[in-house]
Amino acid sequence: MGVAPALAWTIALSGGGAALAHAVERGLRRTMPDVDPGPAAPVQIGVERAPAQTDPWFYSAAPAIALFGVALALVVIPFGGQLVGADLEVGAFYYLVVLDFVSLAIALGGWGANTPDAVEACYRAVAQLVAYVVPLGLAVIGPLMMARTLSTVAIVEAQHRAGLWYVVAQPVGFALYIATGAMQGYRAPFTEPFASQIHGGVLAAYGGAQALVWRVALSALLFTIAAMGAVLFLGGYAGPIGGPIGMGLKTLGVLVLIVLAGRFFRARSTAETLALSWKVLVPVGLLNVGLVGSLILLGVGQSAFR
Amino acid sequence: MVLHGFVVVGLVGLFVASVALLAAAAIRRPRVRVHAPDAWKSYRFGLATFALIFLAFDMEMIFMYPWAVVYARIGVPALLDMLVFIALLGVGVAYAWRMGALRWE
Repeated sequence: MGVAPALAWTIALSGGGAALAHAVERGLRRTMPDVDPGPAAPVQIGVERAPAQTDPWFYSAAPAIALFGVALALVVIPFGGQLVGADLEVGAFYYLVVLDFVSLAIALGGWGANTPDAVEACYRAVAQLVAYVVPLGLAVIGPLMMARTLSTVAIVEAQHRAGLWYVVAQPVGFALYIATGAMQGYRAPFTEPFASQIHGGVLAAYGGAQALVWRVALSALLFTIAAMGAVLFLGGYAGPIGGPIGMGLKTLGVLVLIVLAGRFFRARSTAETLALSWKVLVPVGLLNVGLVGSLILLGVGQSAFR
Repeated sequence: MVLHGFVVVGLVGLFVASVALLAAAAIRRPRVRVHAPDAWKSYRFGLATFALIFLAFDMEMIFMYPWAVVYARIGVPALLDMLVFIALLGVGVAYAWRMGALRWE
């Protein structure tokens, strides 16, 4: 793809993905009214209001930075062999780095809004980053080892040539990805930074167009996490139904899985999330790297390279 | 060639940032200023110790990405190398855990 079509495609994907994720999540939430919606809670789009004592720069920049990070991450998500914003050689690593801009945005917005609830949300979001980054990285490492590449397109191609979806070879890694994906997307049971006890945290401090930007960014965030799960573990755009349609269906599947899994666990506080991450998920992730390494030595998923 | 891909990254970033900032700046109707108390209150910093351990592990993650790419080609020696690395870090977590650094309250 040329530069202009790639730009148009990524913008369209950000908007369309956000709308799809929002609609699906709204529908699913209706069946689980007891679960805190967290970042999926309604925002005050029709109300122009802002706290009186904001830091104008931090406060205004925050929603823009959140959407910025999500859209940049979507650049490397392939929906077809050619249907990708840019097939970067460091794609998977780049994805992990730029998506953390959302965490920065929540921290800036919370600090900049300067209300007790929003600053509390800032601290909680930073703590959640400390909880999810390492186990998420350990979950993503598995597919990278089997595919011998960081390029997202090449990861899909490697699964296709080996005739193996990595979810089959690495069920532990996939479960780890779903758990840390829920943390990364602030979805139940890890909704603490957007909890209803602090009235939605950062979201409560925004209104009007900026609230709409938050809405789009946070819905697109869930869509992006689901899409990357489909690329890494479910064979991406290659599969029984090929191309963008199949990739869309797989993305939808992972999205529904992340949202519905939230109803089976009670909400975790930030302290519990950190403890869960460092006492359970990080050791499991390290074991998983060893496990995947052994499988590769046995030749699993390596027929793609003969 | 390498930079070519990042042209799209730069353009997407520029575009989205501009639109979002325009939404914030241009579409500005009169706002109701809501008065709320200032946020300055005491916070416990159990997070600081977590953050330090996190830094150590996050640096390790950076080393793991290039390792993951060449792992299958090198085979057993690469696995042993990384096992030593992981074992050292595992000892680190166990030590931090034992010393109570993973306790929030």
